[in-house]
Amino acid sequence: MDHDNQQPGQSARHEESSRPPRFEVSDGAAIPDKSDKGLFTAWRISLFGALAIIVVLCLVKPDPYIDILTFVPDGVLVTFEVTILSILLSLIVGLITGLGRISKNPFLNLAASTYVEVVRGIPLLVQLFYIYYALGSFTQVPPFTAAIIAMTVCYGAYMGEIFRAGIASIDYGQTEAARSLGFSRRQTMFYVIIPQAMRTILPPVGNEFIALLKDTSLVSIIAVADLLRRGREFATATFAYFETFTMVALIYLLITLLLSKIVNIMENKMTPYGQQQ
Amino acid sequence: MDSSNSPIIAIDGVFKYFGSFAALKDITLSVDQQEKVVICGPSGSGKSTLLRTINQLETINRGRLVVDGVEVSDPKVNINQVRMRVGMVFQNFNLFPHKTVLENLTLAPIKLKKIPRQEAERSAMPLLEKVGIREKASSYPGQLSGGQQQRVAIARALAMNPKIMLFDEPTSALDPEMIGEVLDVMRDLAHEGMTMIVVSHEMGFAREVADRIVFMDEGCVIETGSPEHFFKNPEHPRTKRFLSQIL
Repeated sequence: MDHDNQQPGQSARHEESSRPPRFEVSDGAAIPDKSDKGLFTAWRISLFGALAIIVVLCLVKPDPYIDILTFVPDGVLVTFEVTILSILLSLIVGLITGLGRISKNPFLNLAASTYVEVVRGIPLLVQLFYIYYALGSFTQVPPFTAAIIAMTVCYGAYMGEIFRAGIASIDYGQTEAARSLGFSRRQTMFYVIIPQAMRTILPPVGNEFIALLKDTSLVSIIAVADLLRRGREFATATFAYFETFTMVALIYLLITLLLSKIVNIMENKMTPYGQQQ
Repeated sequence: MDSSNSPIIAIDGVFKYFGSFAALKDITLSVDQQEKVVICGPSGSGKSTLLRTINQLETINRGRLVVDGVEVSDPKVNINQVRMRVGMVFQNFNLFPHKTVLENLTLAPIKLKKIPRQEAERSAMPLLEKVGIREKASSYPGQLSGGQQQRVAIARALAMNPKIMLFDEPTSALDPEMIGEVLDVMRDLAHEGMTMIVVSHEMGFAREVADRIVFMDEGCVIETGSPEHFFKNPEHPRTKRFLSQIL
């Protein structure tokens, strides 16, 4: 059986060729690329609009807006802490899960697949409650730790799927070339496939970063003093609900808009190997 | 096992199935050291599959396959050890795009043979010289033409110091003007005495370099013989038909 005349670099997903084309819609953020004029304009309007509203509000009504702005930055910091710690840990969990999902070992494969299936089927808020309250009846977990564990467990499953897809996107010829030189399956994976997959998964991981950052607002419910929690504390103390949550929403918006721009810059940096020097 | 009169590759009654489709039917073929064998035949004849069974990129379902004194069809054999002695060149080059040309050559010697980087690089440079792309050592594969990539792929296989080289349609993905430069490298290699098995449609190359030509069709070896015999007096009607189509 002769092999199809494939051009190098094109990944041939023969088993999917008969299916309808798939499209990806991310839960992270709309990534403002210059090729999409409308979205890029919308991104700029949103960013500068949000900035302008914050400035105008502070100028027109310093009390309570300036007070809110001085009260919540601690929360922003916590939000970032939870986000960064969770993303790092979920990358590790994700790599293990992704490798498990493509493993030829039926036990590992089933374990990883079941983990993904179960975690994706339970809302993150329920997972948070489960780890903090339900497990809390056996062993007390501090809120911050519980938050990190829940986010890691949840996003580890998503990351696992990203790793799996990233590894699957590498042409099978790469595996054959490495194996023909004498590399074992494991060596092939770590020296040849994963280094290439890292590049292709960078943008989706960036997107998950944004999605995770937004989802960290859920941890405010288990007494982690993140941005939303700090807002609530301020609001209940001053009864300035409208002003506080307006400001909190604007700050979240600013952060995700800036992050989505960073992801876009990352995507554009994905030039072919050797062309960045 | 290495005495020069025992064949370096012995294929004995080999069958290969893809599902219920028999890709190889009772293939028996042996290759001596330093012999150059060109396998040709229409597409779908099983010639690439046969080549890929030799380093077990395709496993076999029945028969025996001995390569360099090791029975590779035995599942207990460490196939990676055998593969280190059998170089392979693919139709689509399959260079590692994230590595420079030099790193493509040195990755396997460094990781598998534990050769120090500097030494591996020192022995890689003459190979790049040999395939005529010394000046591209620090380029990435994506910056090279197809012909250059295939020459790097040959050098990458040679960097492991193999006893046998397998070529799977090495010029089929190339633009016509680049075929010559790759065949030149292969010709040089043949003159140096490398044991080579080449799946190819390049009949000029086969005529000039091959000690033996194997013609396959529908998973069977139809006819084997010297280029002389093969091109002048083919016996089997299917061989004649194939030659009339291709020449």
